[in-house]
Amino acid sequence: MSNAAIATNAGAAVLEDVVKHFKSGSDTVRAVDGVSVAIPRGKLVALKGPSGCGKSTLLNLLGALDRPDSGSITVDGADITGLSGAAEVAYRRDKVGFVFQMFNLMPYLSAIENVTLPMELRGELNAQGRWTLAESLLERVKLAPDHHRRRPSRLSGGEQQRVAIARALANDPPLILADEPTANLDSTTGEQIVRLLRSLASGDRTVLIATHDTVIARQADLVITMRDGKLVGRDGGSPGS
Amino acid sequence: MKTLRWAARALWRAPLRAALLVGVLGVSIGLALIMITVDGAFDERLEEIQSEVGTTVTVQPAGSFGGGFIIRGSFGPGGGGAGGGPNAPNGPNVGDATDDADTDVDDGQATLTDEAVEAIASIEHVAGYTRTITEQYSGDELTGGTIEPPADSPFAGNLPAGGFQIPILVTGTDNPTALSSLGVENVEITSGRTFESDEGEANVAVIGASLAEANGLVVGDTFEVNEAEVEVVGIFTTGTRFGDNAMFLPLDTARALFDREGEVDAISVRVDTAENVSATADAIRETLGEDVADVTTQEATFDAISAPLADAADSSRIGMIAALIASAAIILFSVAIVARQRIKEIGILKALGASNWQVVGQMTLETAFVAIIAAVIGALATFPMAQTVADGLVSDPTIQVGGFGAPGGGGGRGGGVVLDAGDGPVGNLLGEVDVAVSPEIFGYALAIALGLALVATVIPAWYVGRVKPAEVLRYE
Repeated sequence: MSNAAIATNAGAAVLEDVVKHFKSGSDTVRAVDGVSVAIPRGKLVALKGPSGCGKSTLLNLLGALDRPDSGSITVDGADITGLSGAAEVAYRRDKVGFVFQMFNLMPYLSAIENVTLPMELRGELNAQGRWTLAESLLERVKLAPDHHRRRPSRLSGGEQQRVAIARALANDPPLILADEPTANLDSTTGEQIVRLLRSLASGDRTVLIATHDTVIARQADLVITMRDGKLVGRDGGSPGS
Repeated sequence: MKTLRWAARALWRAPLRAALLVGVLGVSIGLALIMITVDGAFDERLEEIQSEVGTTVTVQPAGSFGGGFIIRGSFGPGGGGAGGGPNAPNGPNVGDATDDADTDVDDGQATLTDEAVEAIASIEHVAGYTRTITEQYSGDELTGGTIEPPADSPFAGNLPAGGFQIPILVTGTDNPTALSSLGVENVEITSGRTFESDEGEANVAVIGASLAEANGLVVGDTFEVNEAEVEVVGIFTTGTRFGDNAMFLPLDTARALFDREGEVDAISVRVDTAENVSATADAIRETLGEDVADVTTQEATFDAISAPLADAADSSRIGMIAALIASAAIILFSVAIVARQRIKEIGILKALGASNWQVVGQMTLETAFVAIIAAVIGALATFPMAQTVADGLVSDPTIQVGGFGAPGGGGGRGGGVVLDAGDGPVGNLLGEVDVAVSPEIFGYALAIALGLALVATVIPAWYVGRVKPAEVLRYE
């Protein structure tokens, strides 16, 4: 697909010839090697591939946790390739929500405090507003009300991941990036989490899940397959690059 | 404010880590504060000692060798054994038989005169002086107190029945308003009073308790000295048998009674500042001549007194510096370790949209909280601990310098009670190092805490800036 075609077809995110290499000793790891793809808005997109194929790196690039060596990334119409400083911080805070494989909740904060944390960083709502919103988000991800004030260590894996999803939704970002969100969960809980993520992908909100689980991938609107840092397949949705 | 709340919350929610940091840092800061306090107390005490001891120059007839009563007319070498401070060996009380204008020679003992005093008074930096003469009472009316050596003493069998009779020593002084000015540091008037300023020529006396007891004298009684009637106006005690066997008269009264008009046995010259003592002593030597007068300062005494204190002050200063360095090292390493332990937390915060400064701010405030709490605990520990540490650092807090000594044992009339040579008492000075911990310690504590927190900011600032969320969250 040409640059013009990508721009015309602008979805939630558009990547064009993105390259990210890492040095590993004397070797160069081509984690992302010339990827061009458009992520449609409001869809659940699965990024599939074996471990080490570059899925997580691609997610990190989309979340501005890392910078590409070359190529460009546009999210919600804005080029994030050269973001730095306050703009980069604001992008991470307002435009993306992360769901990690290991949940990555703050251990010393309760479930509801973990959800209010991104709101505190944003600083728009007062304490009452944050609390009310966090309660509603936790209800939305179906965390039992009597668990809202529990710390992560007193929650099950599935509950922790629900809290992480609620936290990712806290600032209502247009893009949710979930990196192997069910890898540490049993299959039943994993399915519940995928259903939850599935329910989030609508309207302006896009959910991109990195996974090597074909069962999860089957529920996605679009499945993008990666191998050795390259895009090798696209299944569903409109044709990509 | 938001960052402040985060920092407090992070500490509150990780109490074990916080308590450990506070504990280690509290000990370190407490030690530094104790050393600061002790060091200050030592310095203050050294200044006090210098002001008490160091501004006096003692002038005595040549050959009388420093402090103590000089028994005019004593025979041969004074027996002065036990008496006296380190500056006051009771040497032979035989002065040079000069016929200098400033000295008189009588019975083999040189004395100074008021002319010498006038010459001294005109010297620059001389702020005042006290003149004394000393005599041994030789009349029949008064009986001295007695003292018996212990039964196992080698002298026990050689003494007359009833024990050794202590000579009655008489001091005339022109500064009678405070007996402590005579070097009797621990003197306490047990009844009556001391001399009044208008009693310079009055026949009044303040006598020691032993002397009063031996002669049945109370305040208001009179007794004869060289055929003159003298009234007891006060009775004092020094806590020693020898010290309590003395009497004090106004200088002119003593001169009249002992026929020593215009004579002086010792002059205690007060110099305006400690810095001028040495130069003033030199000026006095030059004015009077070294063959006429022995001029001694109390520098040696000061050095003797202050040496252990100065050593302790050095130790406390080194301890203070070491403790401060240790505090800085502890907080730096602690913060470094904590930052490393919390690298994932830092990565999560950055991934959620926290700026470097928000993370650094939180960690800095956490450190500041820990440091302040530790400093307060350290400051509180200073109150009960500082005096103990000070006492421990002073090698010999009970060292005695000067003060009342015992008279010479059996040397006959030459033995003498040796008072401190100077105007100011210097006895037991080291034992008086009083470490007063003031509320200012909390100010020091706060300053140290904030300083440490500031130092400790460097690490999180550097570390947080380097943390890349993608890297720290990649390896889960």
